[in-house]
Amino acid sequence: MFEVHCPYCNEKRPEIEFAYAGEAHIVRETKADELTDQEWAEFLFYRDNKRGDHHERWWHQHGCNMFFNAVRNTLTDKFVMTYKMGVKRPTKTQIKAAKNGK
Amino acid sequence: MLFSQDINISEALQTNALSMTLMDEKTRYSLRIKPKDLAAFKKASGLKLPAKIGQSIRTSAHSYLCLGPDEWIVITANENRNNLREIFVNMTAKFTYSYVDVSHRNIGFVLSGEQVENAINIGCPLDLSLDTFPIGKVTRTVFENAPIMVLRTGTTEFQLECWRSFAPYICGLFDRFAMDL
Repeated sequence: MFEVHCPYCNEKRPEIEFAYAGEAHIVRETKADELTDQEWAEFLFYRDNKRGDHHERWWHQHGCNMFFNAVRNTLTDKFVMTYKMGVKRPTKTQIKAAKNGK
Repeated sequence: MLFSQDINISEALQTNALSMTLMDEKTRYSLRIKPKDLAAFKKASGLKLPAKIGQSIRTSAHSYLCLGPDEWIVITANENRNNLREIFVNMTAKFTYSYVDVSHRNIGFVLSGEQVENAINIGCPLDLSLDTFPIGKVTRTVFENAPIMVLRTGTTEFQLECWRSFAPYICGLFDRFAMDL
């Protein structure tokens, strides 16, 4: 078992309380009916599938019931940082600082 | 009587090490209030809702539990039900919020004894030591994959709430855990 820091509860909680909720920072299409099939498919299904630091959404399902964003390294499975919904995507320097801070 | 609270708790769960009792039938409301409205809501309703996740306030009549940034549970005895509902109905004119009666959904247990922390920790990975889980702290979590709510009411006493369909499963687990303690 590993622990995930929930930015709303502001404490580390067991992994079993959380659920993965896909890639983060995907902006919803406002003019969906003007898109081609290919563009719509890219919005719905095409994801980066990144190797390394990945921005993703997590859900504290069995806790405060809030969604939040996280940077997780898909190679090591380590959470670099978690942040509340609405906060801008952290820059590379912020991610680096978070790695060194821990 | 709202529903049958017919749960068998084994005699093995009545020892000094671990004792489990079924709580009387209670009235429970789930509240969702926008955090920006909280101060005004508290003032208008007179309810003592704690502001921080995990905090609880217990008065002689009601228990107020804060589970999320905009989510509270209010537990009270059945005779206070109508008073409480009247307060909630009056608030609908002033605030956009939701109150849902979840009395029929939850069932509550009181767990106590010297080994109570160890017993809960068999099925729940939270750190329940007094430093990180002080008296009055409440949280939703999982117990052997069943969603539960844990409230610490004393040094060696917890209140555990679960959906009533999970109650026989959870009682059965504690019965088996009692043998290991």
